[in-house]
Amino acid sequence: MAPPAGQIRPAKYLGAFVLIVVALYSLVFFTGNHKPTPKLGIDLQGGTRVTLTARAPDGKTPSDEALDQARMLIETRVNGLGVAGPEVVRDGTNLVITVPGTDSEGAKRLGQTAKLNFRKVIGSPVPNAEATPESTSPSAPASGSAAPTTSASTPPPASETASAPTTTAQGRPAPAVEAQQPTTTAPADSSAPPATSASAPPTSAQPEPADCDKVLLAGEYSDDATKAIDESRQCRQNPQWAALDPQVVQQALGAFVCPKIDPLLGNDDPALPLLTCDQDRTQKYLLAPVTPPADGSVKDDDYSMYSRLTGEDIANAISGANPQGAGFVVNLDFKSEGGAKWGKFTSANVGQLIAVVLDSQVVSAPSINEAILGGSTQISGNFNQKEADGLANVLKYGSLPLSFEPSEAETVSATLGLASLEAGLIAGGIGLALVFLYCLFYYRLLGVLTILSLVLSGVVVYAVLVLLGRWIGFTLDLAGIAGFIVAIGITADSFVVFFERLKDEVREGRTFRSAVPRAWVRSRRTILSADAVSFLASAILYFIAVGQVKGFAFTLGMSTVLDLVVVFLVTHPLVVLVSKSKSLSNPKLSGLGGAVQAGAEERALAKSAAVKEV
Amino acid sequence: MSQSKGSVFHRLYVGTGAFDIVGKRKRWYVLFGVVLLVCLASIVFRGFNLGIDFEGGTRIQLPAASASGKITTDAVKESYTKAVGKEPVTVQTVGTGDSETIQLRSETLDASQVTSLKAALNNDVKPTGGVGSISDSAVSASWGGEITTRALIALGVFFLAVAIFLALYFEFSMAIAALVAVIHDVVITAGVYSIVGFEVSPATVIGLLTILGFSLYDTVVVFDKVKENTRGLLGLTRRTYGEAANLAVNQTLMRSINTSLIALLPVIGLLAIGVGLLGVGTLKDLALVQLTGMAIGALSSIYIATPVAVDLKMRDPKYKAQANRVKARRENLAKRAAATGTTVEAAGDVVESTDDDALAAELRREKALSAAAGAPSRTTKNADARRRPTGKKHR
Repeated sequence: MAPPAGQIRPAKYLGAFVLIVVALYSLVFFTGNHKPTPKLGIDLQGGTRVTLTARAPDGKTPSDEALDQARMLIETRVNGLGVAGPEVVRDGTNLVITVPGTDSEGAKRLGQTAKLNFRKVIGSPVPNAEATPESTSPSAPASGSAAPTTSASTPPPASETASAPTTTAQGRPAPAVEAQQPTTTAPADSSAPPATSASAPPTSAQPEPADCDKVLLAGEYSDDATKAIDESRQCRQNPQWAALDPQVVQQALGAFVCPKIDPLLGNDDPALPLLTCDQDRTQKYLLAPVTPPADGSVKDDDYSMYSRLTGEDIANAISGANPQGAGFVVNLDFKSEGGAKWGKFTSANVGQLIAVVLDSQVVSAPSINEAILGGSTQISGNFNQKEADGLANVLKYGSLPLSFEPSEAETVSATLGLASLEAGLIAGGIGLALVFLYCLFYYRLLGVLTILSLVLSGVVVYAVLVLLGRWIGFTLDLAGIAGFIVAIGITADSFVVFFERLKDEVREGRTFRSAVPRAWVRSRRTILSADAVSFLASAILYFIAVGQVKGFAFTLGMSTVLDLVVVFLVTHPLVVLVSKSKSLSNPKLSGLGGAVQAGAEERALAKSAAVKEV
Repeated sequence: MSQSKGSVFHRLYVGTGAFDIVGKRKRWYVLFGVVLLVCLASIVFRGFNLGIDFEGGTRIQLPAASASGKITTDAVKESYTKAVGKEPVTVQTVGTGDSETIQLRSETLDASQVTSLKAALNNDVKPTGGVGSISDSAVSASWGGEITTRALIALGVFFLAVAIFLALYFEFSMAIAALVAVIHDVVITAGVYSIVGFEVSPATVIGLLTILGFSLYDTVVVFDKVKENTRGLLGLTRRTYGEAANLAVNQTLMRSINTSLIALLPVIGLLAIGVGLLGVGTLKDLALVQLTGMAIGALSSIYIATPVAVDLKMRDPKYKAQANRVKARRENLAKRAAATGTTVEAAGDVVESTDDDALAAELRREKALSAAAGAPSRTTKNADARRRPTGKKHR
């Protein structure tokens, strides 16, 4: 015996809903970490979030592979911070680093490390007058002659016999490069022959347009990023410097002012010389090209100037205590091909300085004490442990296939996060309470059903939130909370549509009981199509927009889907139940009394009109 | 008809088509057109008050409380000047009670500057919670631009997708009308931001996009009723398309009001908390733009979307012809009434459904489905229960 049309068995639907809730909550409590707490964004629990935007040197959109590779590299580095729960997520051409907790500021520096290569230092580094004003007058002009034979301050200590060149020297690192912290080189350099003139007129050797004066002397660049990169390439990557004329080199170094914000960062051309500073802007360097010009004018085995080495040639770098005494050293291993290049380069440049250049800035410029053929190298110097760790990290992870700039870096304190979370919850609570009041006032008994449905909807949403946080790493942030609060309205609207239809049907003279199936069939269609539009909107937002928009769109879309579940499995069956119960379907209680009355009045009116008409 | 008019609320509640909205559509076009133009002019000539995310900069936020009482903005300013060597752009106190914070905005500082500034602030003003309680965010000037670019792309894709969906689900004229209404909403909301001078943040841009969903949602509900009311309309001479649409608007008017109220109530809560407790931030930005947009979205689905749909529909000669037939019939009736000397009460205002056939068909299908799915209920079960003790094999 089938029930009459549209007369569903409410118990079945309600049962299905209970099953869903039970299933969801058993997943919540019996899988993962068993804790019923959703994953919170850093704006709610405190922490650091850095959004890095990829900058491709040629202005093209970076490739997916490059971005993924960069993501993995940065992830490794983030994990190296040693804090709990870090995350690197790709979002379009952005990488979003999220590090929860109070000790998360280190994340801000991760994006800095980008393009790594090795460049031979031409001439000697010059202290940056502006950054170290106390040293200006006495020692500013200090600079060695640019002759390639110049050796750095101290003669290299007689090293033990070099390890056998035939092996790849896995065992012990070849005693090798002695590092010279740029700061320690400075005073040593001042003993070098004084330079001809720092005040030489600039300069017939520079055929660049006039604005190079501004770039070099004042460190001023155009506001437009592309133009600024172009300017700095033109002015600071003069191919003529590769000719090694000591006077030109000297002039260039002397005239250069380290820019505060360097547009060239990560955008230098490896085939050209480079005029740049170290990361603290205390020293100025003129660096040789990494690779020889593409025209073939330089022989393949000419390593006198070209290291041909980038960060990708490095296999590993580890910092550790110096076995030969105080301080710390960095042990560097090259990949096989990189080792070969390194061997040839160091053979050709004993006594010279080699700069580790990260994103166009010099990280460290140790001198080469001897040819290093094994593929393993030790860099020693006046490092403290932190510096050694830093250098090792730069060497190990430094080479990203892309350079990045931080678009947004945010550290939220735990107290502020907590305050925001509280505020969000209070706002949601107030919103719900207002909706409850209005529903009770307007729909009475049906209002109670609305409230019940909303609460149950909340129960489901919460479970899904916890589970999604566990499965796909969905984090609830402030925008997400706002999404839920806005979704209260959309969820409640489904009920409003249904109840208004119900009212229509009652007004047409049907009993509550017979009105329910008709109203349901009609409103179901409306609810489905309206929710479809709403879901479409959130889905498009989610896939196209960036940043916080995603959280908002996700929660909105999710609420829309769960709203359908609740309307179909809870609200409709409950209304059916009420309509079957005599005491509950009392028009006064159901809030439909007005409609019944109005309908009756109108029909009476229409009847009289019709009678008159006939 | 005269005595059934009743109070405005009663007319609303009953929804009998007592408000002539579609018929006076020229009036709405002019009214909203003027508002639209004002908004456009303001956007073009005044522009927006762009927030930190569009201009780049660093924002530092710290609790306004310290062990030695409330921290003044002057103290923070002084400390900033000492640490950075320049003047901050703004320093202000926001929020209330325990959530009261001091917000400092400055030009973009790099990571080490931020660290030293935080240390300096911690030394100078000693906020409760120490250096860990100081939040900062640095934004590059291009970030807001990127968000906006993506938002515009999302907007384009959204319009396209929605147009396709609506054209398939309803019809082409309705899809166009819905889009007109949505664009109208976006422009006016943006215009309000420009006129009032609210600060535009990425959260605002998000909010603007979600208005689209809401505005369309509302329109879909109204159009659904229009579709229901006009099914099989061409075969009847009872009312014109415009009148049927007007009836639909009236029938859904109460729902529109209810929905808007219910949707706006939480947003108002959001706004109260966002402004009152926190002072600034995502919550406030979202709430403000939603509040503006939702209100306009509800209005436009009634006053813009439906009238435009009707105007587009009436370009169809079939509907024009039908409207003429309706007119002819009415004149006919009036003549007859005049002849017999009685006044005619127009019965057209009684709410009735014109899609009874469709509804009946759907209900029949439902019945068949539930009959097919449902095992014969209780009675059989009882029989089963009775049979079991006999030990007979049950087939």
